[in-house]
Amino acid sequence: MAAGALRGGGRAAETRWRRHIVGQLKLRDLRQHDKFQDLIRFYTRLLEKTSLTNARVCLFCAPRCPSSDSSLSTLLHQNNQLKKTTGELAYQVVQLQQQIQIKDSVLEEQHARRQQEECRLQGVFDSRLVLQGRVEMVRAEMGALKSDYDVLLERQRGAETKLRQEELRGRDLLQDVIHLKQREAANMNTRNERRCSCCSAPTSRSSSPKLQPESDPQPPRPPRLFRSASAMSPRILTSIRELFERRRGLSVSSLQEDRLFPVGVCLSARLPARALHVLEAHEQGINAVRFNSSSQLLATGGTDRAVKLWDVGAGGKLEGSTEGITCIEFDPTGPRVLAASYDKSALLWRLDDPIPKVTLTGHSRRVTAARFSLNLQVVTGSADRTVRLWDLQRACCVQVVEVASYCSDLICSGYCIISGHYDGKIRVWDTRAVRCIQELPARGKVTSLDISPDHRQLLSCCRDDCLQLVDLRGWSYERVCFRADGFKCGSDSTKAVISPDGCFLAAGSADGAVYIWNVSTGNLETRLPDKHSSSISAVSWSPSGEYVVSVDLSRRAVLWSDL
Amino acid sequence: MADDKDVLRDVWFGRIPTCFLLNQDEVTEREAEPYYLLLPRVSYLTLVTDKVKKHFHKVIRTEDAEEMWFEYEGTPLKWHYPIGVLFDLHASNTVLPWSITVHFKNFPDRDLLHCPSHSVIEAHFMSSIKEADALKHKSQVVNDMQKKDHKQLWMGLQNDKFDQFWAMNRKLMEYPTEDGGFRFIPFRIYQTMSDRPFIQKQYRPVSPEGNVHTLGDLMKAMYPVALSNEGEPKRFQVVIHGIEPLLETPLQWLSEHLSHPDNFLHICVIPVPSD
Repeated sequence: MAAGALRGGGRAAETRWRRHIVGQLKLRDLRQHDKFQDLIRFYTRLLEKTSLTNARVCLFCAPRCPSSDSSLSTLLHQNNQLKKTTGELAYQVVQLQQQIQIKDSVLEEQHARRQQEECRLQGVFDSRLVLQGRVEMVRAEMGALKSDYDVLLERQRGAETKLRQEELRGRDLLQDVIHLKQREAANMNTRNERRCSCCSAPTSRSSSPKLQPESDPQPPRPPRLFRSASAMSPRILTSIRELFERRRGLSVSSLQEDRLFPVGVCLSARLPARALHVLEAHEQGINAVRFNSSSQLLATGGTDRAVKLWDVGAGGKLEGSTEGITCIEFDPTGPRVLAASYDKSALLWRLDDPIPKVTLTGHSRRVTAARFSLNLQVVTGSADRTVRLWDLQRACCVQVVEVASYCSDLICSGYCIISGHYDGKIRVWDTRAVRCIQELPARGKVTSLDISPDHRQLLSCCRDDCLQLVDLRGWSYERVCFRADGFKCGSDSTKAVISPDGCFLAAGSADGAVYIWNVSTGNLETRLPDKHSSSISAVSWSPSGEYVVSVDLSRRAVLWSDL
Repeated sequence: MADDKDVLRDVWFGRIPTCFLLNQDEVTEREAEPYYLLLPRVSYLTLVTDKVKKHFHKVIRTEDAEEMWFEYEGTPLKWHYPIGVLFDLHASNTVLPWSITVHFKNFPDRDLLHCPSHSVIEAHFMSSIKEADALKHKSQVVNDMQKKDHKQLWMGLQNDKFDQFWAMNRKLMEYPTEDGGFRFIPFRIYQTMSDRPFIQKQYRPVSPEGNVHTLGDLMKAMYPVALSNEGEPKRFQVVIHGIEPLLETPLQWLSEHLSHPDNFLHICVIPVPSD
């Protein structure tokens, strides 16, 4: 076909040879095929037929040959045989019928069994339905349980997250606590360091050691050594108090200041004759000693940095100073103690609180004296040649007075401040004008000052082993000197006192004896030796006049009395 | 083209009426009847003569029956040639039906191949197809076929199923359009004038110049004697499938449509009958 299409010749030529072939083929088939087709078919059929006929002819010819007798006998024989065959067949029929019956019965049985099985099947179906119902129920229950379980799981998860959060918070809190503790410890450490190094003063009240861990509000064994001795003083006091009660001081603002308070006045001081108690009161030398206004309390201050309170009631130990104590004074109203310290500060305690209430800092060298003044003010004198006035309410310095020399002690009397100096001068200052209004000569370094309760006489102690009593009345400033054989001023801060009735002077000597002079005669009244083994640094006469306390640099305190 | 399909059918269903006669020398129990049969031109003698064998076995003794062979006017007929070729070559111009003598003795071993079973015919047929495809497509098509495809070709021939055969044979007749035909045309030219069995050479369907080769070109190249010159009386007939195609018929078309099932174009050259 493709060749035909490709052929370059004309269509007529192309169809010619094709038509020729087709025609030739048709002609060929006509001649060779169609003419003979039927003929040959018929012939074949005839051939088959003749062969069949031949075979039949053969069959017929063969039995015709024997005689009729023999054929009869053969027939009889055949008949017999047939009968036999019939009998056999009948027997077979009977046998088969029996088999059929057996099969029938089997069939019946099977039918019955089948019915039984169907019944059972029905039963099983029913039970299956029931079971299916139960399965459905159980599934539903399971679904419900599952949902419950899911809810519970959810709640548990929520609880767990809450627990985790709480744990986290707990850990945070713990961390905070630990931080706080660490800060506390750090504070304490710095405090301890400061105390040890003695080089830096507390800078402000806020940094004052609030968290002093070892501070013991109630010392385990409050020293009550003087109890028996002081037991009678309140009785005397109360009897006198009623007579002499008066309002003292010009209170400005403080409620506390407005309160009336009794001031004991000693009518006659008793001359001490013997030592009632001898006590190793401090761990190091004692620098200062002072009775309170009710004579019930005795405060001692030593190089061991502590102020110790002795006697009835609120005995205790006041700490907070980082250096040795140089001077102690009780608040005239009683509940507070003021102390000057080597650590360039002055400290104020309440008696019931061992931690300083106020720390006054600002001096550049050690503070040698601290006294209560009017109007809730405090005056301090220092080795830095200044005297400062402090407002206790604001806890700040309100005035600085340049005093030209080392101030060893000072006394407040009304608006006057009297200060003693190492240059051998006693200066009188007016706090209102802030200027020196008087300069009194002394004979050497002034170690201490004291003023009589009636504010008429000023006692000064000098390093020239002489006590000097100045009459402050008028402007004459008469001076009386008191000396004694053996009396020797032991240090630059030896403190001498005037007895509460103003009749005696008491001072400790370097030889360890307490010397008492009579003011009116000017002679040595008595000498109390042998109790101290080293230089006496301070003495204090109780405001009630009954006791004298002397302290020395070798830690010993001795209570003297006439009893 | 419907015509081409008809040609294929005509070629496939070409028949030759034949009368088989038992050889006179055979010993028979009784007289043997002749057996008439329409032989398919494209098939092989041993493939379609089972009935003949059965027919003559009835009359000869079984112990005398050896391998059956055929003879026409003294010429043993080669069963491995297609029947149509045998007829065209030996008996094309005789009176029909074609009378073939059947022998059961004295098998001419020198002239004929033994054919003990149909599998031998199948092997011969398949080898012819492979040879033809080697010429046409370098064996590519036939090698791509599966075993069952080969079987389909053979079964189509054996059971005379035209559609079954051509469904597969169609592939063997394909060629790339740009080539314009097969590589070589598988053909064989038979003649009776010499001892040479047939002529088979490589011949292309298209000349190197691009012209389509025709049957005449082929004969001129292979067997010029077969062609008569101008003015001379025709001496030879070129017969394919019992017909004489025009010499101008393209060779490629002939190969596609007038080839035997073995894919060869069998061409017989016979002398023109004198009368």
